[in-house]
Amino acid sequence: MIKTKELTKYYGKNARGIIDVTMDIKKGEIFGFIGPNGAGKSTCVRTLLNFIFPTSGEAKVMGLDIIKDTVEIRRNVGYVPAEVHYYKHMIVEDFLKYSTEFYTNDYEERLHELAKHLELDLTRKIGDLSSGNKKKVAIVLALVYQPKILIFDEPTLGLDPLIQSVFFDLLKKEKERGATIFFSSHVLSDVQKICDRVGIIKEGKLIKVENIEDIMKARAKNIRIQSDDFNLKEDEHIINLKKIKDSYHFTYKGNIDKLLKKIESYKIDDISITEPTLEEIFMHYYNKEDKQ
Amino acid sequence: MSQFIKIEFKRQLSSLILWTAIICGLSILMLSMYPAFKDSFSELEAMLDAFPPAMLEVFGLGEGGLDMSTPYGWYGMEGYLFVVLIGGSYAGILGSTILSQEEDDQTIEFLLSKPISRNQILFGKSLVVVTNLFILNMILFVTLVIAFSLIGDFIFLSTLLLVVGPFLLQLIFASLSLAISIFVTKSRKVMSVSLGLVIGLFFLDIIATLTDNLNFLKYFTPYEYVNAVSIVNNQAIEFVYLIISVVIIIVSGFVTWFFYNRKDITA
Repeated sequence: MIKTKELTKYYGKNARGIIDVTMDIKKGEIFGFIGPNGAGKSTCVRTLLNFIFPTSGEAKVMGLDIIKDTVEIRRNVGYVPAEVHYYKHMIVEDFLKYSTEFYTNDYEERLHELAKHLELDLTRKIGDLSSGNKKKVAIVLALVYQPKILIFDEPTLGLDPLIQSVFFDLLKKEKERGATIFFSSHVLSDVQKICDRVGIIKEGKLIKVENIEDIMKARAKNIRIQSDDFNLKEDEHIINLKKIKDSYHFTYKGNIDKLLKKIESYKIDDISITEPTLEEIFMHYYNKEDKQ
Repeated sequence: MSQFIKIEFKRQLSSLILWTAIICGLSILMLSMYPAFKDSFSELEAMLDAFPPAMLEVFGLGEGGLDMSTPYGWYGMEGYLFVVLIGGSYAGILGSTILSQEEDDQTIEFLLSKPISRNQILFGKSLVVVTNLFILNMILFVTLVIAFSLIGDFIFLSTLLLVVGPFLLQLIFASLSLAISIFVTKSRKVMSVSLGLVIGLFFLDIIATLTDNLNFLKYFTPYEYVNAVSIVNNQAIEFVYLIISVVIIIVSGFVTWFFYNRKDITA
């Protein structure tokens, strides 16, 4: 449904674009697009929607050329931007109705249904909305006319956890309906929750495309053990072992149960097992990439 | 598409009303002073003789210039100046903000994610600009018809040209400003550039009138194209100026179209 070939956007020396991004997103798939801020996620999205023109390479959405057939593509794409900017003086309901008038069908009923799900107050002025509420407007806007493709750029940014889960339920319904979803985010837990595959983008390059399960297997835990008689050595599972004051810090990759059995015999004063931060997971991939 | 134009028009309506009120108000004010001045024109002319001829030239009162004792001469001298300057400013502001405001507010992303082409956006916005300027000048025309009729000396062609002239001038400024706004996207900046153009070209007109060997400059300032002297005394806008005006508008339009369709919109 979304196919890019060596898609490149060069902004000049000082700004990062995207370089040779090649990917193939299948129909009905939820594709996560992850990378830290500034890696080129939004550039990629904007190129697909022809807000900006690629420097080289090509891309097709539903087999249509992103430049030549952009209007036809947009007719079939629902888009939620990272930062939502709509006409401040308009009332939410008027704005949503205005927006649906670009399409041929009548979406009034679905519009109200979605707004109800997301607890969006339709009677307020857009300018008075918080960023989370503006995001809701964007989500309603994208989902209301049931497009074939949904492109999300940081869709959960600003949404509270309750609404986030409503949003994910809505996404699942969209997937069941057969929509293809491009989900750009730097929030790994979001991507993990919903996506079938993920692409990791680093400094403008798509460095890896993997199934979400494989990514999860590679996920490590951060361990801190406070102990006097501890003498574990680094091995294939225990990485980056460091002693800071009286505690040992390391990253553990593998079956956590095996680790617990291994350290059973030590006298442990304190232990903490934490999820690595997103940065650490990125670092894991990023470093691996650097070594190659 | 039609809805898009409707919304756009609605958005510009309050400023249209405001600018129309200012321009028509000033025209009425100036014309309402005519009867009072009419009786004392001989004294006024005696006073004007004391001014240096160059200065009179600037105000269109030099040799072959306006006759202030007639209503049209009076209006060409007192009212028209405001209409072209203020109307030009309005056109400059309208042309420079209609597109760039969307980029400034980043609402352009909304439009560009809808099934509407950049050409449709351009066409819709331009249509709103032209319509607004047309409405402004239609109201001005009606105002002038009534005012001149009340003064008791209504000439249809003169009145029409006194409106067509500013309309042409406004179209020039609006199309130039729109073209500039493709390259300078911060709407405040574009506005300063186009207001600079509106005022700068006005002074260029003065310089061209004043300085004989810089007379060729008159081709570079649209104020000269719609000069009150030519409209009131000859009841005409010179053909060559009309052609230049149309060329400027078409070239600006082409530049706008060409570059807007190739431009990265990085709101």
